[in-house]
Amino acid sequence: MDLAQKLEILADSAKYDVACTSSGVERAGKHGSLGSCRAAGICHAFTPDGRCVSLLKVLYSNACCYDCSYCVNRRTNDIPRATFTPRELAELTIGFYRRNYIEGLFLSSAVLGSPDATMEKMIEALRILRQEYRFNGYIHAKAIPGADPQLVERLGLLADRLSVNIELPSEASLQRLAPDKQRAGILRPMGQIAQRTAQSRRELAVYRHAPAFAPAGQSTQMIIGATPETDLHILRLTEGLYKKYALKRVFFSAYLPVVPDPRLPATTTKPPLLREHRLYQADWLLRFYQFSAEEILNEEQPDFDPYLDPKCNWALRHPEYFPVEVNTATKAQLLRVPGIGPKSVQRILSARRQQHLGLEELKRIGVVLKRARYFITCNGRAPVRGTRAEVAAALLDPNAFGVGMHQLSLDEFVPTALPGAAPAVHQLADAGMDARQAANLVRQEALTCLTKRL
Amino acid sequence: MSYQAALSDVSYCYDGSFQGFLCCIFESFSKKEIPSAVLPPSEGQTSLFSQREIETRPELARRVAAGLNRLGTAVRERITTGFLADEPGKELVLLRFARLCFERGPSAARMLGDADVAAAFALERSVNNESCKYIEFLRFEQRGTMLGTIIHPRHSILPLLRGHFCSRLPDEDFMIFDATHGVALLRRSGRVCYMQMKQYTPAPDPAEEDWQALWKRFFHALTIEERRNPACQQNHAPKRYWQDMCEMQPDPLPDA
Repeated sequence: MDLAQKLEILADSAKYDVACTSSGVERAGKHGSLGSCRAAGICHAFTPDGRCVSLLKVLYSNACCYDCSYCVNRRTNDIPRATFTPRELAELTIGFYRRNYIEGLFLSSAVLGSPDATMEKMIEALRILRQEYRFNGYIHAKAIPGADPQLVERLGLLADRLSVNIELPSEASLQRLAPDKQRAGILRPMGQIAQRTAQSRRELAVYRHAPAFAPAGQSTQMIIGATPETDLHILRLTEGLYKKYALKRVFFSAYLPVVPDPRLPATTTKPPLLREHRLYQADWLLRFYQFSAEEILNEEQPDFDPYLDPKCNWALRHPEYFPVEVNTATKAQLLRVPGIGPKSVQRILSARRQQHLGLEELKRIGVVLKRARYFITCNGRAPVRGTRAEVAAALLDPNAFGVGMHQLSLDEFVPTALPGAAPAVHQLADAGMDARQAANLVRQEALTCLTKRL
Repeated sequence: MSYQAALSDVSYCYDGSFQGFLCCIFESFSKKEIPSAVLPPSEGQTSLFSQREIETRPELARRVAAGLNRLGTAVRERITTGFLADEPGKELVLLRFARLCFERGPSAARMLGDADVAAAFALERSVNNESCKYIEFLRFEQRGTMLGTIIHPRHSILPLLRGHFCSRLPDEDFMIFDATHGVALLRRSGRVCYMQMKQYTPAPDPAEEDWQALWKRFFHALTIEERRNPACQQNHAPKRYWQDMCEMQPDPLPDA
């Protein structure tokens, strides 16, 4: 098997891994080695599904000895298998990196025999890359659940970011779908990494040449839609992970049916992309907007509204909080206004020290006012007075009604619902309705509902 | 406008260099006026209004540069970065911004609600955004012992790419050719220079094509068909950058 074929197989097997960021560590280049890191991360390409390619995302091997039913690489699946050698992997990484194709390496692996044996091989590959090829770029490595803590320690000293996949949002689901994995086996390395990263950070503060253990922290990911958990459950879990293990990111991956299995959704099910999008929006609210999981969802409403983003939804449930005066409100208050994000808040705060802000000034600052204008006052005056229907129309999330053109042949186009559109739109379109008409119909209905709610 | 200056209908003509532009600021300051336009030689310098030729004098430029330095990095960088933009009328925007900063001090850079400041900020952001995109999307090719690439940016962003790539490839020689402006950034044995160049057409190299094919194969393997969303792809990687990204080129037709 030649290298190109191997690369194709192992990239194809790794593509369902979501985490592909290169952020969290700033490192200048130095003579004698190759590469540098930017704290904000750099995306180098975007695939036709709109996801970024930042790292050379591959599996070390896809010859797995586990049999997790949701996974393409499970033992019982009939797919081509391949395994890299450490040299091949290092040469590929360096070759791609020099040509500015990638930001570094994302190395995961199927379980080759045992977790310990797999980790040994991954560590050897990373050691060659770091020490022999003097690679100074970004490395994201997956710790294999159940591996020896000493191996996790060695991996962390070579990689910038570590991650352990939590896979499914609850222990019951894990037992049902991934009988070879234990929840404790996943959480133990997570705890070890959290504790070791914090320790390394303290050491680095004292002595700057102390070895850095996973300086870009750790992340995790879970599959959404394969199991019956509510959004509230997932969001609480996410919040818990951020608090307890100081994770940098929690990634969500909409479940794509790859095999018929009575324990899983039917293979005709569409991936719940809108739900995934809502979860990411809520995840942003947790990390950058000072929200808590309980504020975003509650027992009465345990799932996201498909037509409204979580922040708008919160704002509608808390009319007592608005309007907010842009010239005097605190940072936390401004962050809660729908349509105003951390960047806009920062600019408002620094601009209003110099001058009074009216609607014109806000526009110049670059604040998006489509939704925000109904929730703010400038110098005590509301910028616009909208009817309930107008407000509702501004608040609805256009993503939920997205329709694109699909090219059948050279000059034949049909409208199709975008993958991220609401399930109702997909249902109507699948039943034979014109996609644009379906989206309009669903939008009208959502609009009527929302207008009544206001 | 809070500073003392009359809006005059004279337009300044300068030689297009940054020093020349600094002299325009000096002229505007000493004459207590804001010109109606500041024109580089490339823009056909004919207008209804009277024109004044602004001579480039290094000692005046140095005085203005020292003044900008005193105003802090935010102001200085907005002007130096904004000047790299390839947009008609950028000089007047930056001149008005500079005048305001000299009047109000460094904090004027944060008055984004002000029309002049917002315009200068937009200019700076446009240049910075493009340079970030090229840091992401430019693709080197191995040519002999050097790495080389051709880019087609709107603005003259080479100076903004320099630091990043020199740090990233500390021991490599490379060249980035800006085909729009006919300038190349050349780094050879640790030294960097900018060169005027008409064109750069490297001969096809089979080893390099193999690397590109490998990268393309990886790129296609990563795509999840069920999630296909070309609009999202184009949002992140606008089409005008595609000509410089090898994975976005259509596959060559197989030989018949």
